[in-house]
Amino acid sequence: MTDERLVGLRVLVVEDEMLVSMLVEDMLADFGCAVVGPAPDFDAAMALANSAEIDAALLDVNVAGRVIFPVADALKARGVPFAFASGYGAAGVEGDHRDAPVLQKPFRQIDLERALTGLVSG
Amino acid sequence: MSSSSDTIKAGAQATVRERALVAALADETRRSEVLIRVGEAVGAGRDIDVIVQTVVDGGVELTRAEVGAFFYDYDGGRFGFYALSGAQRSALEHFPMPRNTAVFAQTFAGVAIVRSDDILADPRYGGNPPFNGIPGGHPPVRSYLAAPVVSRSGEVLGGLLFGHSEPGRFSAADERVVAGVAGLGAAAVDAMRRRNEALAASEAQRGVEASLAERLSFALDAGRMGSWALDVDSRAYEASDLCKANYGRQPDEDFGFADLVASIHEADRDRMTRAMEAAIRDGSDYDIEYRVIWPDGQVRWVHARGRADAIVPGGAAKRMAGISLDITERRRAEARQQLMLNELNHRVKNTLATVQSIAFQTLRTARTPWEFREAFEARLLALSETHNLLTQENWEGAALRAIIDSELEALGGVGRAVVVPGAEVHLSPKAAVAVGMGIHELATNAVKYGALSVSRGVVTVHWQVRDGLLELDWTESDGPRVETPQRRGFGSRLLEKGLAAELGGSVELMYRKQGLTCAMRLPMAALEGRNRA
Repeated sequence: MTDERLVGLRVLVVEDEMLVSMLVEDMLADFGCAVVGPAPDFDAAMALANSAEIDAALLDVNVAGRVIFPVADALKARGVPFAFASGYGAAGVEGDHRDAPVLQKPFRQIDLERALTGLVSG
Repeated sequence: MSSSSDTIKAGAQATVRERALVAALADETRRSEVLIRVGEAVGAGRDIDVIVQTVVDGGVELTRAEVGAFFYDYDGGRFGFYALSGAQRSALEHFPMPRNTAVFAQTFAGVAIVRSDDILADPRYGGNPPFNGIPGGHPPVRSYLAAPVVSRSGEVLGGLLFGHSEPGRFSAADERVVAGVAGLGAAAVDAMRRRNEALAASEAQRGVEASLAERLSFALDAGRMGSWALDVDSRAYEASDLCKANYGRQPDEDFGFADLVASIHEADRDRMTRAMEAAIRDGSDYDIEYRVIWPDGQVRWVHARGRADAIVPGGAAKRMAGISLDITERRRAEARQQLMLNELNHRVKNTLATVQSIAFQTLRTARTPWEFREAFEARLLALSETHNLLTQENWEGAALRAIIDSELEALGGVGRAVVVPGAEVHLSPKAAVAVGMGIHELATNAVKYGALSVSRGVVTVHWQVRDGLLELDWTESDGPRVETPQRRGFGSRLLEKGLAAELGGSVELMYRKQGLTCAMRLPMAALEGRNRA
């Protein structure tokens, strides 16, 4: 069953594809997580990353044509763990964030669960 | 007295003999001098015309002939060149070449020397038309002496002919002299032939080299290829005009090896120098692409190829040469292609995730596998329809009107819906997919439960753009009485939460008794994809 550590976890979701973000919301709801967002673009993502009460984040690498790495930087500065979701796979992740887990779209619910568990227990 | 007279007689005889001896000696001396002169001329061997003239002049002088001729050939079978000598030479100049008559054949077929005291009495003479003998106007010839000129290899190179108008003028000694002169003539023509052959060969070689160099230069120019050469030890570097152009230099600008290395992009410079050193060390091919910085600051790509060459087999390379080519356009095209491939991959993966989402959520609301299949397929087709529209426009977007029409058409609702179009609205690919999915959910609901489920029902779609906001109203009327649903399905969630959130606007569903309405208020910036930095 679902990992206890995920219950009540506040997860920021950054995803610009409507149906994909709905899917992620459903998956997270199944784990007992509370979804923050989903943020459909860079500015909304940055605002939430800087100020929202969050425990973890799942970031689409490319949101509406902009790379999300500055948001990842902001999260890192706050000590919030995050994973990337990307159509480009690990190859799309650059620079300081190569260590962050990358979920290649499409991903299974269990892949997301493992990634999140890894983030909160790491 | 008799004895004294005998003595006188004997003395006189001795004087005559002495005189004859002196004369013979003088004659020999003269002949020797002439032969030496001819030999020297042949030996010096500069101008063939001078040589053959010296030979025939010598022959005339030695035999005391009135006329002499030297016919010769050096380009195969025709004795088309000649030199004339003697008092009567001018009278001979207008006559045709000797033909293959019985007399001449002895000479030009290389059979033997012909010496005749009176050629007119020779049985071989006069048997050949049209002249049947010496042509009219020809200087009279009775004494005739002719020798073939034969090379050491046995080939007949020509003939030496001498004549005199009086019979019996040529002696056996003259015959030997002419044989000697003919030998000198053969040596002269032989030497000239060899020189001409060597000259022709070297000219041909020069021609081949010139045309090769010309073709190479043309091909290099046509291929926009520069050429370069490097002296390994001195690092002296030579670049063609086009090669300089590949580095942004003018033809008259200096461009040495240090300039070359300095012009290469810092990040590529080590790679380039290592490749060049390896090519010099191992004789391996030098084949490298690097960025260069032009003097005006622009960055270009250059492809350089070359090879180092050892002058001594197995020795160290002394020089290196090759070509250079500006490949900036190719590099850019490759980068564009890579970008497109990445983008395509991104889209495919996102589409798969979208399909996954549709399946995931359709499964949650479907009560039976049949219901799942029906709803899932319809949504998949709705997505596919939007993709068709986007493909038609190279994935640059799609018109709102086209999206609405195609979703209604897919459900057979086109004739039943009244579309009141407002301003033309062009949606970005992402917005098109989202709005297309929303319209699909509205139309599906209308056909299954709403106004389009009964024959009298009507749907009106109306939109306008005001203050940067798209106001789209979906209004159903004259359908079955509408009840507010007990639980929210995929459609209402997609519209009210998904679409509204994705496009940063609001979508409101109102379950009025007379029919469902949907009011979308979506910012144009988000719809057109202008909300990117």
